Amino acid sequence: MKKLHSIPARRLLLATILALLPATALAQAPWQWQMSLKIETAGNAMYMPAAVAFDRESERYYAVDAGRNRLVSFTRDGEMLKAFSADDRLKAPFDLVRLDDGRLWVVEKGRNSLTRIDIGAREVKPHILRDGSRQVFPDRIAQEGGRLHVLDRASGQVLRLAADLNVEQRFGSPDTAGGLADFVIADGSVWGLEARAKKVFRFRSDGSIAQTIQLGEQVDFPVSLAVGDSGLYVLDRHQNSVFAFSEDGRFRYRFLGPGHARGQLHFPRQIRFDPWGRLCVVDEGNGRVEIYTR
Amino acid sequence: MRSYKFMRAALTAASALILLLASQGAAQAVMDCFQCHERAAFQKKVKHQPVAAGQCSDCHSPHVARHDGLLQQGVMALCYSCHTEAQAKHRQGFMHQPVRTGECLSCHDPHASDYQGLLSKRSSDACFSCHSDLPKKYKYTHTPYGKGECASCHQSHQSPYPNLLTKEPEALCLGCHPLQTVRQKHANYPAELGNCSSCHSPHGSNRPALVRNVLHDPYAAGCKDCHAAKGAPVTVDTCLGCHPQVSEQMASSHNHLVRYGENSCIACHSPHAGDKARLLKGKERHVCGTCHEATFQRSETAEFKHTAHEACSDCHAPHGSNHPAMAKAPINTVCVACHVTHEQFTHPIGEKVFDPRTGQMMTCASCHTSKGTDHRNHLKFAGTRDLCVQCHRDH
Repeated sequence: MKKLHSIPARRLLLATILALLPATALAQAPWQWQMSLKIETAGNAMYMPAAVAFDRESERYYAVDAGRNRLVSFTRDGEMLKAFSADDRLKAPFDLVRLDDGRLWVVEKGRNSLTRIDIGAREVKPHILRDGSRQVFPDRIAQEGGRLHVLDRASGQVLRLAADLNVEQRFGSPDTAGGLADFVIADGSVWGLEARAKKVFRFRSDGSIAQTIQLGEQVDFPVSLAVGDSGLYVLDRHQNSVFAFSEDGRFRYRFLGPGHARGQLHFPRQIRFDPWGRLCVVDEGNGRVEIYTR
Repeated sequence: MRSYKFMRAALTAASALILLLASQGAAQAVMDCFQCHERAAFQKKVKHQPVAAGQCSDCHSPHVARHDGLLQQGVMALCYSCHTEAQAKHRQGFMHQPVRTGECLSCHDPHASDYQGLLSKRSSDACFSCHSDLPKKYKYTHTPYGKGECASCHQSHQSPYPNLLTKEPEALCLGCHPLQTVRQKHANYPAELGNCSSCHSPHGSNRPALVRNVLHDPYAAGCKDCHAAKGAPVTVDTCLGCHPQVSEQMASSHNHLVRYGENSCIACHSPHAGDKARLLKGKERHVCGTCHEATFQRSETAEFKHTAHEACSDCHAPHGSNHPAMAKAPINTVCVACHVTHEQFTHPIGEKVFDPRTGQMMTCASCHTSKGTDHRNHLKFAGTRDLCVQCHRDH
């Protein structure tokens, strides 16, 4: 015990504590920056990217460059391949999915359409959706087994579409005041984020709610969610942070913060898991997609 | 053993002596305070408990202090050091702005007052001292408002309901206006009764029945332009059908088309009548704050805040925009609209200058933030060094 009072012993104790501190923080947030999807050419950087999508088969990323009305493809290693604007016909593209047959479905906010793009056939076909008597305002899009799911901003519901694009199922929060702000399909379930009530819902295929997760007060302005093997991740646009929860809603940790440097976000827009288990954060204000691995 | 008893007796006697001296000292302190500070100023109907007990030093340090008024702590911390229950309660729901920023003294006198709750003025006068844009009387004035009974509808510190209401809005109205009477007066109402403030002003107006001053044209013409049948929802399509310019603004990568019941437009606008031309449901601080309260709180409690932080639409496009943060134009254009001369001497910004961290165009927002900061000139980092080395690492 006496030895601890000696100066070398105290220094050793201090060094041990300092060495352990980063390790503890690392255990709290196990995500490491791996790469950025961005365009390095001066003056040609992505401007306000809104979404990221994936092609598992050909190992590609697609970033939706909303500000420059184009879609940008990258290799799995982050090398930029092509920028595609459909002959300048895209208007404020916002989200996309790629089907197994290679066709793209793009949400275009500029024409309020769900636009089918067949690159091989050079065909771009916008569709204005309706749900009964009301117009649909597409926002986010996902697919499962070739069936499109679209988030309708006006009703705040996720709509599952039949092959003819008619609505065949709705997934919505029971609270009429607020609607879903984002959704993903994971483990065969639709997961929806209700931003104002700060809740996450897991829906059954018939639209009923199987699980409700109340996010804590630490979340301020949630805009997007991702669901993976390691739990639930919620992106907070105003705090520029990712909040990690267990699947039963227990808060685990948060990581990333505001700014423009690596590991910092500026008005982030979307969070998704890629097919290889990496966490992708669409960093709208910094014009890039940040990719993290565990 | 005897020496132990002697020690204990001696310690007891010493403690008693210290207490006696301390109490005499306290009495002396009170006497000393009133030698300079006029006693009459503290002799009102309602006295703050420490004042009544002569315990000035509970709050003040008699010699030196870091805080104005020789206070031992900042006002908010000092008040909450005794009012601990209030502190917990005041952090829930909607908070009155002075409560949020810890300006207890904007309403309360810390020493003594002639009004309940140690209010520094008659309650409605205290309210109007900040809410000076509200007229005290209208052509038609709601009775409680005319009597200055603000507290009959509003809480003064915090509330679970918007506008610091004491109850859910409809329940509040029905508390005085029985449902049966309301039904009789709205015989041909085309929807479920409710949302009274969509047509009526709770304070007053120039129209009978307190109908708000500015009427939506279809409302003035009757109900059928929008309400196809009783109970049939009026959807956003109906609104956008008459407001194509709004429809255009909504066709942006960022827009405010959010679910709000059956029609997202009425999240912010009254479909029937309002106090001003835009038919907003209140001031922007409150309408925008319904969803963006945390943003206001961050700004209001920051060391440095942008002066125009309550006039959101000065900088933002409320329906939709293709610019970051739903700005109504490119960021530099928005800022220069007010900061006219800054364009002449600023660090290079614009389309030909790129942020080395991101490759994005350099804008005012590369260095400044308008939503509150700890640094002068709304800088994101201290302007002496920290800010510059974010990009100029070699320096």
